[in-house]
Amino acid sequence: MVNITIDGKQVSVPEGTTVLRAAENAGVVIPTLCDHKELAPYGGCRLCLVEVEGARTLQPSCTLPVNPNMVVHTATEKVKEARKFVLSLIFSERNHFCMFCQVSGGDCELQNSAYAEGMTHWPLQPNYSPFTVDASNPYFVIDNNRCILCRRCVRACGELVGNFTLGIEERGANSYLVADLGGPIGESTCVSCGTCVQVCPTGAIIDRQSAYNGREKDTTKVKTICTRCSIGCGMEVLTRDNRVVRIEGDWDASINHGLLCSTGRFEPLINDKERIPTSLVAGANGQKASTLDTAVKEIASLIQTAQPAAALITDNASLEEISLFSQLFVGNSKVKAGVLGGNGFLQMHESVRSISGSSLSDVTGCDVVIVVGADLSTDHQVAGFLVKRQLPTGTKLIMLSDPKNVFSANADLVLDTSKGFESALKGLLNGIKDNTAAAARLLSTAKTVGIIVGETVESDDLSKISGLIKDLTEALKSSGKATHVLSLKGGANGSALSQFGLNHSLDLNGVKTVILFQGEDTVDQKMVQKLSSIPNLVVIGTYNSTLAARAKVVIPATTWWETSGTFINIENNLQTSNRITQPTDDINSMQDILSVIGKQLGKGLNSDWQKTLGSTTGRS
Amino acid sequence: MSKPKVSSDWLAGCAGCHMSLLDMDERILQVLELAELRSTPITDFKEPDASGVDVGVLEGGISNTYNEEVAHKMRSRCKTLVALGDCAVFGGIPAMRNFFTIEEALRRAYIETPSTDESGKIPSDPELAVPTKVRALSEVVPVDIFVPGCPPDADVIFYVLSELAQGRKPELKDELLHWH
Repeated sequence: MVNITIDGKQVSVPEGTTVLRAAENAGVVIPTLCDHKELAPYGGCRLCLVEVEGARTLQPSCTLPVNPNMVVHTATEKVKEARKFVLSLIFSERNHFCMFCQVSGGDCELQNSAYAEGMTHWPLQPNYSPFTVDASNPYFVIDNNRCILCRRCVRACGELVGNFTLGIEERGANSYLVADLGGPIGESTCVSCGTCVQVCPTGAIIDRQSAYNGREKDTTKVKTICTRCSIGCGMEVLTRDNRVVRIEGDWDASINHGLLCSTGRFEPLINDKERIPTSLVAGANGQKASTLDTAVKEIASLIQTAQPAAALITDNASLEEISLFSQLFVGNSKVKAGVLGGNGFLQMHESVRSISGSSLSDVTGCDVVIVVGADLSTDHQVAGFLVKRQLPTGTKLIMLSDPKNVFSANADLVLDTSKGFESALKGLLNGIKDNTAAAARLLSTAKTVGIIVGETVESDDLSKISGLIKDLTEALKSSGKATHVLSLKGGANGSALSQFGLNHSLDLNGVKTVILFQGEDTVDQKMVQKLSSIPNLVVIGTYNSTLAARAKVVIPATTWWETSGTFINIENNLQTSNRITQPTDDINSMQDILSVIGKQLGKGLNSDWQKTLGSTTGRS
Repeated sequence: MSKPKVSSDWLAGCAGCHMSLLDMDERILQVLELAELRSTPITDFKEPDASGVDVGVLEGGISNTYNEEVAHKMRSRCKTLVALGDCAVFGGIPAMRNFFTIEEALRRAYIETPSTDESGKIPSDPELAVPTKVRALSEVVPVDIFVPGCPPDADVIFYVLSELAQGRKPELKDELLHWH
């Protein structure tokens, strides 16, 4: 520990701590712009200058490590003058006229800094050099005229996301933000994760959806989780007047460390899908609006009259919904229960999960990461970011994938799976045992190995795959390598479905009635094809679709932010998704709809999913 | 002792700061009890007294030679000069034209706007003021008090005027400091 004095306060911090972090510990506020707690110190803006006794000049506190018995002053006249001068230089460099800026009035760290210094004007006038505005990305706009060159976005893109799309072109005052080697960001390697938008301190990178929809102080922030895939990323949702304004990554969430992908951050705000506004029941003249009760009565009569019947549920449903669903339909003599799009993957997931209970950071932080059958550039993207950001530190990536897998471009070694995953895995396993394969060379110096198993694994018998993964783990462990295994387990609540025994697909041949608990999900073409021959379709979903259009009964369901629920994430932890806004009167959660169906069918339902888990599956 | 005299004028601005001044409603009577209002763009007198005033208030940036003349006249006739609003303090909205040449700005305004017909031409009467780069007031004359805001809130203007009328120097900070 090193003892230093900051503004007369004694503080003891570990060696290597910067003066800025030490000051935070001591409760002393030093203004900053380029600093961000998730990013490596950079020392670009000079706003954090402090006076150090014995030092020749003012020092940037963000890059200055503590020295024993250092005496630091953060609020002397000299420091205050320097701050104002630094801010004047920044303001004079570009177009920082606040009155026509989206973030003015509380959301701009540059403006807030100037207010904090009591600046009523700029001693230096702007030089009025125009810079480019890049509006080619569908989700955000980059305005270089508002940029202060703090490079938070560039650093976030590289350090946090591992994407290295953003960079700086030119030198000094002419510097400007570019994507790749120049050209529009909309045509670049950008994956639209939006981390740059979240870290930008000024109005240089603004989110199209939330722009001009109110300042942060006018909004309410609610922490919740993303339920678009099984990772369960922590997010903060900003709402105003019962409307979602913006979604940000939760820096405190241990699983995603503040990162989100475009599906979690931006897509929920794009209103390009048509909501189902009310319940519909089909009659002689097509679908007619009805009440929920009438619609549910119609479902009950279909179950009685159009036999056999089946009920399918999405793997993005909450535990509460899955529990009610299984109470109603598992073991029901009239209705078979299954998973929408279930393909046996969930069973494999359970056996892979039992190999080692690893966290996402365990797996991605290893010396070698082996990805088996997952394209982390399209699905579970945040896991992909966490892998990619490790690569510059020397982490090696081995991919078992088909040639279409885009994520393979990051790999040190791609093992072809054109002859099947089984043979590829066997090849890898034998290569490691004989110490002959290229993989063995990559693994030779590794102390830790992470294995990620995805859902694009294909095999006639997925249990063989999980067996091979187990053998691979054993082989690596026996050669002294700490090995972590993680399965990506499909949808948000794939694990929960497995635990309720709902991990198999249903044979729909000859089925007359299908009740589809679709929620917000879209149904893939294969499933639409399968369902096309079903005479009586019931859709309980959020958005209009071709399936809903030809359904006998349609019941509108809430979006994830209109209801709350419990989910089991990729690390097998329970997470709660919170209700953010209220739905309109005619729209209910699938949980409520299932309760109404239960009443209609005369079946008493237990609303406590934890109790029902044991009774339906025999597990405790 | 006679009441301090206050004059105001507007330059390259939108008159919004003067509207905000009127937005102080009945509190303007309190200001008038403390100060004597001389020339303003919204009263009869159009120029500050040749014998001088105590406080001069200017709204808007400097966008042409006429603005320069008004600014110099106000500066020479007042003891304390107040730059009122973002245009006077920073250059503001009119300064957006500095990202283009004056020729481009004039062509856009008089020829290319959708509301201009084919006979549109750039005025060239020698009696007209000559447009310049748009500047903050402080680039042309020394300014004593900066009151940013687009426009500054009526509360801020009331505070500034009442402080000046009582011979104190207003200090804008915390809740009173907004650039908008």
